[in-house]
Amino acid sequence: MSPLLGVRDLAVTFGAQRPLDDVGFRVERGEILGLVGESGSGKSITAMTVMGLLPLVGGRVAAGSIRFEDTELVGLEEPAYRRLRGGRIALITQNPMTSLDPMVRIGRQVDRGARLHLGLDAATARARTLELMERMRIPDAARVCELHPHQLSGGMKQRIVIAMALSGAPDLLIADEPTTALDVIVQAQIVQLLVELVREQRLGLVLITHDMGLVAQACDRVAVMYCGRIVESGPVDTMFAAPRHPYTRALTACIPRPGLRHGDLVGIPGAVPSVAEMPTGCRFHPRCADAMPTCRQHAPRSVAIGADHAVACRLVEPAPEAAP
Amino acid sequence: MTKYAIRRVLALLPVFLVVTGIVFLLIHLVPGDPIDNLVRAGSDPEQRAAIARAYGLDRSLVEQYLTWMGHLAQGDLGTAIVQRRPVADLIAENIGYSLALGGSALAFSAIVGVLAGVVAASFQDRPLDRMLMGAALIGSTVPSFWLGLLMILLFAVELGWVPVSGARHWTSVILPAATVGLAGMALVARVTRIAMVQTARADFVTLLHANGVSRFAIQSRHLLRHALVPVLTLLSLRIGLIVGGSVTVEYVFARPGLGSLLIRAINQRDYPVIQGCLLMLAVAVMLGTLIGDLLQAAMDPRQREEQRS
Repeated sequence: MSPLLGVRDLAVTFGAQRPLDDVGFRVERGEILGLVGESGSGKSITAMTVMGLLPLVGGRVAAGSIRFEDTELVGLEEPAYRRLRGGRIALITQNPMTSLDPMVRIGRQVDRGARLHLGLDAATARARTLELMERMRIPDAARVCELHPHQLSGGMKQRIVIAMALSGAPDLLIADEPTTALDVIVQAQIVQLLVELVREQRLGLVLITHDMGLVAQACDRVAVMYCGRIVESGPVDTMFAAPRHPYTRALTACIPRPGLRHGDLVGIPGAVPSVAEMPTGCRFHPRCADAMPTCRQHAPRSVAIGADHAVACRLVEPAPEAAP
Repeated sequence: MTKYAIRRVLALLPVFLVVTGIVFLLIHLVPGDPIDNLVRAGSDPEQRAAIARAYGLDRSLVEQYLTWMGHLAQGDLGTAIVQRRPVADLIAENIGYSLALGGSALAFSAIVGVLAGVVAASFQDRPLDRMLMGAALIGSTVPSFWLGLLMILLFAVELGWVPVSGARHWTSVILPAATVGLAGMALVARVTRIAMVQTARADFVTLLHANGVSRFAIQSRHLLRHALVPVLTLLSLRIGLIVGGSVTVEYVFARPGLGSLLIRAINQRDYPVIQGCLLMLAVAVMLGTLIGDLLQAAMDPRQREEQRS
């Protein structure tokens, strides 16, 4: 059976720049894929690309394929894409403060998805909205429906945004840093809600984040992005127990853990290069402690090194355990 | 909302008092007086003093102000010194023309301006957008007296569609209204366009797209509503401007109106008329601001909240 979402060899261009190159990952029903990377690694662009919203920000798919079940999304006509958006694939944005229309009452904003994609009338849509809001543990849902966004806290707003995403009964959720703007306790609650949703309703979830702790806590599989490429992907356990790519190793080393003494936690030297001046060869080589001369010239291909575990690094290619 | 409205109206009272003081002082501090227009050159000081006494001009400014305010409180604007008629009558005669011109100019700039702005925003950075914005730039920089003359030449003299001047028939308001309205239209178009373009970048609009709402529905139902907030503020601020601000255009088209009345009164130093006219204009500006605030509060829930705290 084909996966819920399968992305292969995806490349995106903005004019002469190419912020995404050779991106591939897949998500199954009932699975949470963590898409991890630093700011500027192309995570959000990946989200916009899957949603078919690249033209809004001035980008274009240059190559590759995005399959949603049996539908090819690259090159899909706008009317068909519009039915998918909100109806089959929904987006949860990262800033709940600005993600709701400040001039429209909460209830009407959540109703929209059901009215648009499920063809419900106003009363039935509102009943569904109340149900979803209770599902999101929003107290006093009927009253909240009559409020305007500025009357709610950030955590409440993010619950509303998730309820909005669920309104059209989608199969796939793409959550772009859904908890970044919230405080830690609220973060945990929101993540808990998302995980429950995925498990109960067998949704697919792409959880975009830079928070490795969140990944360890919530995800089934991880794809690590660096400078618009997936450098390593695999099951969470494997990735944390035995990360192979130097970048993944560095990232996991950045997670604070018990027993750590002052000064033990080290960052990754250097900074993410800008899209305008991408390094040649492996894009991580200027910051890589193990870089070899060949890394400067040749971009590594992604190779499978175990069940469901793939790495794009020259160091890994000849490794004996790569053989099946 | 009602509470908010009442508070806004009450807040205008002190403003009104300050305005009366400024209006009064402003003209009395200007050199010259209405007596110059009443007596022949070379008349003796005795005669001047008699006239001054008759109109109370010999008393102190404070006394004069209090008298004026006293009459004003009873709804009496006083009597014109030079034109020798009640100021209220003079204003009543002229304000209709001003309101007709101002109202149609405002309507013209609002409707055409918003439409042009919306079209420009939907074709952002494409030729149609550049064309409209270029036209708006020209519209807002061309002096209205010159534009008025050009329009008279074309539509009244060459084509003969509308009267050249005066205010006898309703068609005579078309050219002056278009002339006054064009500058406002250009401004409204630019504000509408920029507000729509800016709102289009907001996260909630991305989310609307992500929810499968069509581009047209987003533009017409969501972006336009946000864009109208600054446009309404702009238009309500122009209400005052438009009641008395079209003096040059009234002059070009030989139309009666509050502006012309005011200019004539200023030349004659006819204090009661100047005071009456300026007060009308000030009230128009205040009402405009009030209407703008109320409309904004009605449209944007955040506005109401902020005022409450």
